[in-house]
Amino acid sequence: MEPTLNFIAYLIYLPVVIILTWYVAHTLFKNSKVFMLDIFHGKTDIATATNKLFETGFYLLNLGFAFWIMEISYGIGSNRSMLEVLSAKIGGFCIYLGIMLFFNLYLFFRGRRIAKAKSLALAPLPKVEG
Amino acid sequence: MNTLAYIIYLLITYLITVRVGFVFYRNGRIFILDLLKNDVSLTDAINRILLVGYYLVNLGYAALMISTWDEIISWTGLLFSVVFMTSKILLTLAVMHYCNMLVIYLISKRNKSIFHP
Repeated sequence: MEPTLNFIAYLIYLPVVIILTWYVAHTLFKNSKVFMLDIFHGKTDIATATNKLFETGFYLLNLGFAFWIMEISYGIGSNRSMLEVLSAKIGGFCIYLGIMLFFNLYLFFRGRRIAKAKSLALAPLPKVEG
Repeated sequence: MNTLAYIIYLLITYLITVRVGFVFYRNGRIFILDLLKNDVSLTDAINRILLVGYYLVNLGYAALMISTWDEIISWTGLLFSVVFMTSKILLTLAVMHYCNMLVIYLISKRNKSIFHP
């Protein structure tokens, strides 16, 4: 059996996807606190808890998916094919991560809209003069 | 080399399970508190029981997966199979987590419609 470059490819792939996921989750959930505060009408404790739970779920799902698709089913012969395979994998994972990011953002905007509509419906009617 | 793979795998799953369980334990408390109408002692009891149940299910599942492991002959195979098995655990955890959040959301929605019209 000829020596293959699969091991090196895995060793490059793993840190890249972990750092990428960490960076995206960190950015997203640092900025989502504002949405959560809006959704829960300024109740800080429940907003922080929900934010943390969403963050954990995001990490679990995306890291699980990244590890799931790591397999390179054939032996890599040359440096060139290793680069090609790695760029295809990491690029695909980046696109997936972007879709997940925008999906989460959509959920936040939707929750905010619903919360605003509810608070408008529950607000006391303005007094009519005369 | 299977033994080495089992040791690494169990270490990783143990760390992930305990960390994630602790995060759920701390942040899930407020939701149970809300559902039980601020009954603190009952909430803490239920929360602790849920944590233990979660640990049992996950570590048991992780240990059970070892029996389906292939023979490992190279370092590449070792790295691949450890990462692949970890990914299965992570995805299972994620699915369970989202189901739990959905259930909490549905229960709180139903409670609101009955008690706070």
